[in-house]
Amino acid sequence: MTRPSGLTIYAMLYLAFLYLPVLVLPLFSFNDGTIVAFPIKGWTLDWYRQLGAQETLLSALGNSLIVGLISAMLATSMGLFAARAYVRYRFRGKEASEGLVMLPLVVPGIIVASSMLVLFISLGLKPSLTAVILGHTFLALPFSVSIMKSAFDDFDVSLEEAAFDLGSSAVEAFRRVTLPIVAPGIVSSLLVTFTVSFDEFVLAFFLSGNDPTLPVYIWSQIRFPAKLPNTLALGSLLLLASILLLVVAEYFRRRSSKSTM
Amino acid sequence: MSDVNIIQLVDVEKSFGSFTAVSNLSLDLKQGEFFSLLGPSGCGKTTALRMIAGFQDPTRGRILIDGQNMEDVPANRRPTNMVFQSYAIFPHLNVGDNVSYGLRHRGIARAEIDARVSEALAMVELGGLQKRRATELSGGQRQRVALARALVMRPKVLLLDEPLSALDKKLREQMQFEMRHLQRSLGITFVMVTHDQYEAMTMSDRIGVMFKGRLVQVDAPAVLYARPRNREVASFIGEMNFLAAEVIGEDAGTLTVKTPCFAPLKIARNPNAVGYGNHILTGIRPEQLAIGRAAPEGYDATVEGQVGDVAFYGENVHYHVRVPGVDRPMAVSVPNYFHTVDYARGDKVWLGVQGASVIDLGSEDTEI
Repeated sequence: MTRPSGLTIYAMLYLAFLYLPVLVLPLFSFNDGTIVAFPIKGWTLDWYRQLGAQETLLSALGNSLIVGLISAMLATSMGLFAARAYVRYRFRGKEASEGLVMLPLVVPGIIVASSMLVLFISLGLKPSLTAVILGHTFLALPFSVSIMKSAFDDFDVSLEEAAFDLGSSAVEAFRRVTLPIVAPGIVSSLLVTFTVSFDEFVLAFFLSGNDPTLPVYIWSQIRFPAKLPNTLALGSLLLLASILLLVVAEYFRRRSSKSTM
Repeated sequence: MSDVNIIQLVDVEKSFGSFTAVSNLSLDLKQGEFFSLLGPSGCGKTTALRMIAGFQDPTRGRILIDGQNMEDVPANRRPTNMVFQSYAIFPHLNVGDNVSYGLRHRGIARAEIDARVSEALAMVELGGLQKRRATELSGGQRQRVALARALVMRPKVLLLDEPLSALDKKLREQMQFEMRHLQRSLGITFVMVTHDQYEAMTMSDRIGVMFKGRLVQVDAPAVLYARPRNREVASFIGEMNFLAAEVIGEDAGTLTVKTPCFAPLKIARNPNAVGYGNHILTGIRPEQLAIGRAAPEGYDATVEGQVGDVAFYGENVHYHVRVPGVDRPMAVSVPNYFHTVDYARGDKVWLGVQGASVIDLGSEDTEI
């Protein structure tokens, strides 16, 4: 037996600090009691059962799904074309444009949210799901661009040239060769951008108005102690869904770098 | 091979910004010939090929294929097809779908497509492999699929960009013969780009040698080897011993030259070389020099020297022999068949040469 080194102990503590709270959430969602504290009183699935009967929750879930799907599609289609251009061509303002696309990763969410609110209202767009979709597309774009860039990095340009050489038009070559080859990257980007939108709170809080998305709904429920166990159950389900989506996305991302020879 | 010009390049030039990749390229390629563009990397040969394919537009000049001006005709509507250096096999399609790619969505009946695909695959000896996945192919098979995919289109000209560079030596030699055989039996014009002189020589009817964007010499392999135009071509194709020479006499077809190490030699004028003066450059191929312990008899000139490095190649042996008056040792190649005498480093030997095997390379300082 070798004694664990200081570095190993540090790493363990670090991981525990990061993930233990996250694990506590699902644990208490099975607790037969409304107070979130040890010891656990007993085990129950009631909190999960009650979720299906709450209409406001279901409508918030519906809102989140709509916003997530549309933002994911918008961000991924824009990311697809932007990434192809970044990888393939050299043009004036390329660096500036790439930096600009990545900006949402570093700008504080609260700043983005409040300025978007001001901008949208001045444009006559009231807080609504449309506003959230626009905001989430903006937030998800850097993720989509990075994923699609790695897909295009492994893409041999002569594949498109070969298609062109064999009689395809530029559009046909893109549809019959480029698209199928980068498809795993597209799926991965759709999943990741959907997750980004689905979990996002600050922008949705500012821009959703009377149609809350799921995270906004959860925040509103946390204020009522009696509803806390329900919220924990809901949160656990969301956590599970997010992890699943990201695992699947990673699987597709890896497949995309493997399939291009 | 016929006398019809299938491809004509007229004063073609291609610049990228201030860099001129190809300048003043004029070339006529005959219907049915196997033509190679040979040169070191960066000499513009690939750019020339891509201009014929339509992937790049010439900055100046015209390209005609089968008499038709190709200006404004994009690659997808040219009667040419290309085998790419990376082969560019579509990884998401199987072998059959790769080969039929250019035939589908063109209003061709399914049955005819299938027949043409089978025929093309049989041609490259991959018959029956339609269902094989592209990712499961070996390097040699990928090369064959790329060939079949281009040939199934029945192009007037097949363009090949370093088609064998990704293969190992054994496979490369085998494919050289197979491709040459395929080209002869189909009668399609092949234009190949390569940096490998042996590949170009074994496969081509004619070779165009390019340096720094310029086409320096176009000739059949044997002519290129025996009558290179200048030092560049002579040193790129095979090995060559260079000797500066003084012209001390000349008549219609011959020159009498004095080299630093041999008695005056009567050599043939090289019709390819340009720029005569009192001083020219001459070259002697290593296999044209005779070597012996005593002065070889029956040779126009002989010189005594000393053996330096010895390199054994299997089919022949190369001796580097130092002779007085010449800075670099002379390379002498002796076929192993005749190799009854072993010379070791430091041995005194005699070299013999015939005037007829000394090559006139023209004035060394002449710009071509």
